Amino acid sequence: MKKNRNVGIVGVGQSVYSSHREEVNQPEMIHEAVVEALEMAGITMAEVDCVVHGNMELFEMVHQPDLWHTLGTGAWGKESLRVTTGGTTGATLAAAADHLVASGLHDVVLAIGFEKLQEGHTTGGITNMADPLWGRQLQTGALTGMTAAQMIEEFGAERAKAAAMAYRILMDANAMKNPKAHRRLGLRPDQAEELAANSPALVGELRMIHMCSQSDGACAMIFASEEKARQLCAQPAWIEDHVTAHREEMFCLFGNAPVLTTHRHCARKLFARNGIRDPRREIDLFEMYDPSAWWGLDWLREFLLLEGDEHLRMVESGAIAMDGDFPVNPSGGVIASNPIGATAMVRVAEAALQIMGRAGGHQLPRPVRRALASGFGGTMWTVLFLLASDTERQAAA
Amino acid sequence: MGGPMRQRLITLRQTIAVGQRFATGPVMGRFLMALREKTILAIRCPSCGRLQSPPREICAPCRVRNTEWVEVGPGGEMRMLEYVYYASPDPLSGETRETPYGAVGILLDGCRDEEVFWHLLNPADLDRVRMGIVIGDRVTRGSRLRPVWADARTGSISDIRYFELDEPPAPA
Repeated sequence: MKKNRNVGIVGVGQSVYSSHREEVNQPEMIHEAVVEALEMAGITMAEVDCVVHGNMELFEMVHQPDLWHTLGTGAWGKESLRVTTGGTTGATLAAAADHLVASGLHDVVLAIGFEKLQEGHTTGGITNMADPLWGRQLQTGALTGMTAAQMIEEFGAERAKAAAMAYRILMDANAMKNPKAHRRLGLRPDQAEELAANSPALVGELRMIHMCSQSDGACAMIFASEEKARQLCAQPAWIEDHVTAHREEMFCLFGNAPVLTTHRHCARKLFARNGIRDPRREIDLFEMYDPSAWWGLDWLREFLLLEGDEHLRMVESGAIAMDGDFPVNPSGGVIASNPIGATAMVRVAEAALQIMGRAGGHQLPRPVRRALASGFGGTMWTVLFLLASDTERQAAA
Repeated sequence: MGGPMRQRLITLRQTIAVGQRFATGPVMGRFLMALREKTILAIRCPSCGRLQSPPREICAPCRVRNTEWVEVGPGGEMRMLEYVYYASPDPLSGETRETPYGAVGILLDGCRDEEVFWHLLNPADLDRVRMGIVIGDRVTRGSRLRPVWADARTGSISDIRYFELDEPPAPA
């Protein structure tokens, strides 16, 4: 990416994620994340030039929520932007904030993603994203059994189902280390078969245990120009690059011809542009938008440009665990916490915290020099971020 | 009024119902009119040759206007089955759907590659159909399906009630 100037992430704040945040209203919930981000950056709203705000309006059905939320964001009188790109909203918020600072327009930008899914209807909202002339009646929200069906066809039912549950249980082990995660179930590997058998079926072989949560929560991030970032933060997380790609709105993916996924497309472009030949060796961490265990498992192959069953082996061998060769979602990922308008931002934020060394209980045991973070939304829309530490950037220079 | 102030958890219940009218445009309009005559139309990209049904004004990858109309189906091979147990609301009516139901992708006769048509399956056929799938060089053929037309057709997705099995049921 050609940048006018470098941009660093210097502050991250997150509310607690939960199925019910009925003790606070929307502005109050957002305020929790904003205060934490400002505190980490060591600044006040006086030093913020612009506020970027986003969620999925179809969920809460509140138009221009940024007006109401001014009470919680501190955006009164500030320049502001509102971004709403469905499931990718959070990652697009981060991309917008990066553009605003890299361009030289602003030195310090506060980006906020939120959702209060309990205040609306999640599947109803997602279904209304479909083309109103044909697809609304057919779309099954974000629920699909097709990935499971394809993996079972390719690898056999026993191996595919076991790998999906292994992925699910690894993610829960990570969530147990993250006090802000919504679902922390304490699952054990020896429970896999029983869980899979007893969990309610949603669509095909996609069961409740595989699927992401519906959460209330907010995430806030502070982006600063290189000069400001160095003043504010000992170890900023630098934004090296990001790629956004989408297809048409229809789901024409299941015919005779293999379809190039937006994930693989974005990964190829991002790796080529940054000279990455072997992502598993050259990247230390991946915070992936994994809406279900089946998708998380399948998408490893897409994002890491793998062939055959390498992605299954990464899960079976524990390579994606926190102490593995290529840790995925130390935060617990989307399966653990999913306040949708914040979810894709949380991926970027968690990758940044790992680079900054500020991830707390789920900080990786070794330094994170380069991290990948992805966002996903309907239909077939990907945002892929590459972040780096100072060490990485000095080595590259 | 004395004593410590305690928070009271009050939530306000509201329901929004919105009547909507969407213009179809001439391309989708022609397709919907044809459904009234029990005909499924597709449109072909003059550049890459792919068919789209429902038809789109533009082939997005080629960035050219689609021009050539083709009749496809009405039967075809089932290439996708979402076997849905989750009782989601039907967004056109707000009613909770009966479950299980099947959302299907059908490779209508005359179509190939990714040219899959999206509709519903007769719930009675849910456990009698086989999904076609291609993994590398390995091809599994899906069940043959045919549309069941509504008696009163108005030019909408519901002119086709659903697709049903058009072959002897697969052995159990």
